[in-house]
Amino acid sequence: MEFSTVLQSLLSGLTLGCIYAALGLGLYVVYGVTRVLNLAQGEFVMLGGMITVSLSAFGVPLFPAILLAVAIVSLTGAILYRFIIFPARHASGSTLAFLTVGFAFAVKGLTLLVWGWEYRTLTSFLGSPSIHLWGATIFGQAPWVVGMTILMVAGLYYFFGRTMLGRALRACADEPLGAKTIGISPARMGLLAFVIAAALGAVAGATITPLTMTAYNVGIPLTIKGLLAAFVGGMHRAEGVILGGLLLGLTEALSAGLMPSGYHDAIALSILLVVFLARPRGLLPAHANIED
Amino acid sequence: MLLLFVGEGRLLPSGAIREERRGMRGLVRGIQALVLMMVLIATPLLGCAQSSTPDTYRIGVIGSQTGPYSALGLPAIDGGRLVAEQINDAGGIHGREIELIFYDDKGSSTETALAAQRAIDVDKVLAVACVSATGLSHSMIAVVNDNEIPGLIMSGTGLVDDKLGHWAFKPTSSEKDYIPLPLRYLRDDLSLSTCAGLIENSGYGEGGEYFLRQIAGDHGIDMVMFQYFDPGATDLTPQLANINASDAESIFIWGSGPAGALAVKQSREMGITLPIVTTPAQGSPSYVQSFGRYYEMEPSLVCLDSKLTMWEQLPSDDPDREMCREFHQSFKARYGRFPDMWEAIGAQFVMFIADGIERADPDLADAIVARGQLRDAFETTTDLSLFMGTHTMTPDDHYGRVVHKEVLVTFKDGKKVLVKTMED
Repeated sequence: MEFSTVLQSLLSGLTLGCIYAALGLGLYVVYGVTRVLNLAQGEFVMLGGMITVSLSAFGVPLFPAILLAVAIVSLTGAILYRFIIFPARHASGSTLAFLTVGFAFAVKGLTLLVWGWEYRTLTSFLGSPSIHLWGATIFGQAPWVVGMTILMVAGLYYFFGRTMLGRALRACADEPLGAKTIGISPARMGLLAFVIAAALGAVAGATITPLTMTAYNVGIPLTIKGLLAAFVGGMHRAEGVILGGLLLGLTEALSAGLMPSGYHDAIALSILLVVFLARPRGLLPAHANIED
Repeated sequence: MLLLFVGEGRLLPSGAIREERRGMRGLVRGIQALVLMMVLIATPLLGCAQSSTPDTYRIGVIGSQTGPYSALGLPAIDGGRLVAEQINDAGGIHGREIELIFYDDKGSSTETALAAQRAIDVDKVLAVACVSATGLSHSMIAVVNDNEIPGLIMSGTGLVDDKLGHWAFKPTSSEKDYIPLPLRYLRDDLSLSTCAGLIENSGYGEGGEYFLRQIAGDHGIDMVMFQYFDPGATDLTPQLANINASDAESIFIWGSGPAGALAVKQSREMGITLPIVTTPAQGSPSYVQSFGRYYEMEPSLVCLDSKLTMWEQLPSDDPDREMCREFHQSFKARYGRFPDMWEAIGAQFVMFIADGIERADPDLADAIVARGQLRDAFETTTDLSLFMGTHTMTPDDHYGRVVHKEVLVTFKDGKKVLVKTMED
């Protein structure tokens, strides 16, 4: 086995891991605050990518295009919460998860009508060139993806740990009744959680599109990867989601590079299954609070 | 506290009952909102639904309208629809119109088989055609044989050519017949002798690998390694690094989804300058639009394609030039875009069926008899010139003898350029 292949697999795994972690973080925010498993998270990612590509095609500069995409997708998140989740908020967790699946299919259908079935992509942000290192390659967009994930984590820690609004969200997650008693509206906090998750999804979608392409049908596979990352690492802690994402990405990339057979995906998923069976609550089980 | 019996003998306080009812009302409202949203989205699609009349030749067309293979299924459906419209506008066949009923296989073999069964049992079609990915279409072989109905499958692999049974037909190309074209290109035009296969994990990929292993040596190419990727893969750099570290002088990318196109982009970004040849899917316009500049990097990508897309560059005496020109222009007028290989496949399925109906003149009063008559007619198809080949079938061979029309193209200044035809 060549050193360059091992290094390439590790770099590939790191990038994939950051993508999966970013997907899982959106799920984590909604679950942490509302206890709803939002299976439409991948659609937020897909929409973020599609809208950014379209706005760029109309000549809107990249970063304003991303901001507009974030605004539009955040509105979509608000619609999901206000018109579908909130009216059914007393239903069971599994019912609410099924409602988000329905919403995901609705978004997918609408996207097909608006954009068609073609795959779309963006060039690397600011034309970032690939870097060649000891026989391996770091794509120009990869540092942006890693940077995005680090910023997301830092932003979430700051928001939940240092801001009044973030603390209010935590209060709702920990003790909804108590939070209501002191004047915090769980409905508003739920709405905020969905908006934050949608915004995170949109940023992730715009950032990963230069690497992965996007199309109307990529949302559900992305949700599945995010769920895997969150379940393996631990759904209740941000660092668990990051760890799960990195583990998933590295397992996938190393099995593809070092085990050249048609079964590398099965091998990767089997390894994760063993991890999951050994630690059913995730590698990093829950603390009391969302930011712990 | 007042306690009441509810539901299955549970005891709940009256406040909890109110809470539960409130929850149920909310749930109903949530579901209502979701249903309303889906109805609003589905309404334009419903407008496209085919109406059924008893006096038409009803054909079930199963394709990927959603899922990972929709980039193949949707264009194929458009191609088939155009040919049916043209036939119907010209008065139909034996005074009856062809009625295509479309089903979505959602990229799943199970859904493909279920759709075929629904077409047969519920919509009582005369024949069923699957214009989807190879692996999906294979699931239809058993269904059409069990139900004794003629079925066309869009399988790109020769692994099933002798397993079609009494009722399945394959009026398209098997890789074993067109693989020699890119192999001859590597050997004769580029003077290369080794190649690495980058193979999609799918039924199509399985056939490609099998026949590359079988045939490449006969054409002077040594397949020195095989690497594999999932159809939904987004990072193929580990596999490409393995190939780059091997003795391979060229790469053969074998895939039917977006990952094959990503492999081209990523290989060039990695600085790999080996010549790359690919299966037709990578020439899909959406991939060319996204990755054209990587396709054009020297040595530019060489891709299998059809005569249809290259009709303008065919010699003026090419016997297929006029047929391709006519379809090309009709398609542009109908859909506002140019057709590609998958549109041609969809079109030729309907052309094949129409030819069978023309010769069989099936008696629609008895569905069982009509299906048998059409099957018999398919078996005697002789020198039927379609976009991908000229087909002749026999009772013993439902793939038959095919005079192939594949071509090799490359990419320059945003356009496809003809490199080689089967006749070259």
